[in-house]
Amino acid sequence: MLLFRRSRLGARVRLRSRGLGRLFSSKHNSEARGLRLLRSWLSPEQRAQFDATRYFDAIGCDSGKRYRIHYGVSMNVNQIDAAGHPKVGCCFVPIGYLVAGDVMLAQKIALETNEFGALAVAHTFLPKDTPSDMGMFAHH
Amino acid sequence: MATQIVMDHTGDTRHYFDANDVRALREAEERFEELTGKGFTAAVRTAAGEVSRIRSFDPTNEETLFFPRLVGG
Repeated sequence: MLLFRRSRLGARVRLRSRGLGRLFSSKHNSEARGLRLLRSWLSPEQRAQFDATRYFDAIGCDSGKRYRIHYGVSMNVNQIDAAGHPKVGCCFVPIGYLVAGDVMLAQKIALETNEFGALAVAHTFLPKDTPSDMGMFAHH
Repeated sequence: MATQIVMDHTGDTRHYFDANDVRALREAEERFEELTGKGFTAAVRTAAGEVSRIRSFDPTNEETLFFPRLVGG
């Protein structure tokens, strides 16, 4: 009887594991598809930068400012200065649930073709590693 | 074969069509109008690797990418 219970429990756990495995596998496939699409639409320079660092830079078509798009789905875009330091964060994303590669590609295209339109809807935030952030909130 | 790529939760969905097929072309144009009407942005790539937005259907584009309307995150 105990053996029977154990085998039923084991079967249930295996089924659950398979279900989760499928879910993760499906999610993994979506992520992979998004990344493939992103890489295929990046310029050669952006692709090389992304492959090396998991971020790439895009130039705003309206202001000429440089933005750094990090791997992620939110709060992943920073306007950067000439030295590559983040100045301000810009959070804008396509509506709906999209994988990281898709979100990053939409952000790149928006900045390169309609920068002011993207910034008009964006929420700004203070990037984590700005000098002001580190200094202002330090407790002495 | 021309392609319309629509971003979605699966990564993307691709619609292939023969630009010489009148019916397929009409369906592709209707898809373009429907998506852009919903607020999707349509973009194409140039040979040099630059991207540009398009606001009307162009059957000569080999690949058109659509992404949903942007909102503040």
